[in-house]
Amino acid sequence: MMLIAGTVPVKDMPLTFGKVSSEGDYLLIGGQRVPCAQGTGAMVSAALATTEYLKLEAPQVLLAGDIGQGKGSRAIYEYLIENVVELAPEVLALHYWLPDMAQTRRLCTEIEKCARRPVLIADAASMYSAKAAGLATAFDIFTPDAAETAFLADPDATHPAYVRFMLFNNTEKMPELITAAYEHKNAARLLLVKGATDYIVKDGEIIATVTEPDVPMMEPIGGTGDTITGMVSAFVYAGLESHEAAIIAAKANRMAGKFAIVTPATRVRRVVAQFPAVFAKYLCEWSGVCTTGGVK
Amino acid sequence: MSLLKKGKVVFTGGGLVLFEEVQEAMKAENVLKKAAYPVRLVAPPPELRKGCDLAVEINLVEQTGIERLLKQRDVYYIEIRPLKGRDAAILEIVRVTDFGDWLMVKAANMKLTFEKKSGKIVNTSGGGCPDIPVMHAELLDKHVGEAPRPADIGYTLCALMLDRALEESRSLWKEGEGA
Repeated sequence: MMLIAGTVPVKDMPLTFGKVSSEGDYLLIGGQRVPCAQGTGAMVSAALATTEYLKLEAPQVLLAGDIGQGKGSRAIYEYLIENVVELAPEVLALHYWLPDMAQTRRLCTEIEKCARRPVLIADAASMYSAKAAGLATAFDIFTPDAAETAFLADPDATHPAYVRFMLFNNTEKMPELITAAYEHKNAARLLLVKGATDYIVKDGEIIATVTEPDVPMMEPIGGTGDTITGMVSAFVYAGLESHEAAIIAAKANRMAGKFAIVTPATRVRRVVAQFPAVFAKYLCEWSGVCTTGGVK
Repeated sequence: MSLLKKGKVVFTGGGLVLFEEVQEAMKAENVLKKAAYPVRLVAPPPELRKGCDLAVEINLVEQTGIERLLKQRDVYYIEIRPLKGRDAAILEIVRVTDFGDWLMVKAANMKLTFEKKSGKIVNTSGGGCPDIPVMHAELLDKHVGEAPRPADIGYTLCALMLDRALEESRSLWKEGEGA
């Protein structure tokens, strides 16, 4: 099972667990409708588009409404802490929530009790709490952007708003920040640094970069980082190595932006809608996965 | 399947609210606890001592909502500081990228993009706190001058950074109007 957990901007939506499906621009889970928009919605939409294409089981999702006050976040932490051993996901991807270091520590303790440890992926504030709790090295994959990589590189920062050195573009300084993040043990085993150049970093070593196609107008579009994380999660679930999943996700996201002919005013759902066409045209070439029967 | 679960509040900390007077610190603790914010009264480290010997420790990420609540309840504080990285301050630097018909304004991990001609917000991106997708929905298609301030409706540091981006966008829009 692939399990994705995160908050959604649906006020008063209760903690909801179930297999996800899609209907138009919405995701359906246990009778709840969640828009495919910036955040966990975009991430789940991308993961679902990938598993559907690969004819794999759809992601199981654990979602709760949270407008920033933390109630839904706390419900997600508690449910995961109590049930992760029994759920035994093969891939556990954590996304938007109110970062809580104490709860993240409790969750990581429980995950260590799993008979088979899940591949652990974090993006957005779940990555913030993992780093701030000193647990980054317990994670397999982080997917930060440039500003978030500056945060990982700063040993004292508990949030990207409080970093000492900010990097807005991931240009020539990025390798220094990546090195610092690993030196301070604030990086997961694999980093996919999203930006004008996507860096794929394994155990501190930059093993690949992705720069093409160059679609700079994707940067303003809310959710286009979330879609990369969703695809990485699904490709890992499909059986690809973490670095292979990251490289393909980075390429596919860019290509979807090109297919969608994006402008800064484009909505992320238009990018997600391109994934099946991108996979059909390029996935065999990029991955060696030349059927849609999955690679598990 | 919907699941009803207990909502256990766990204290993470990481931020300090500093006060001139002990009474204000105690008042703040009372106000914040009533609003279900996990907080505790602590002695500020000597280097952060700016007034009284009492501070309120908060979950730093909740700074935006806490600041707003203290102001609403007339609780007077000096400032909110991170407990780690004691010389750290909120990032004030913003960066602007010109996409032709659109301008993108970045503040830390947050980005806001508006159309130059109309002033309409066409996208927000970045961040990872739960109020950010809410802000995204609230700000899209609104004029930069009329959109709600994330600092007024958000709760987290991500919202505060988005507020910085909106503030800069308003200035840029006004400059553009005058040009």
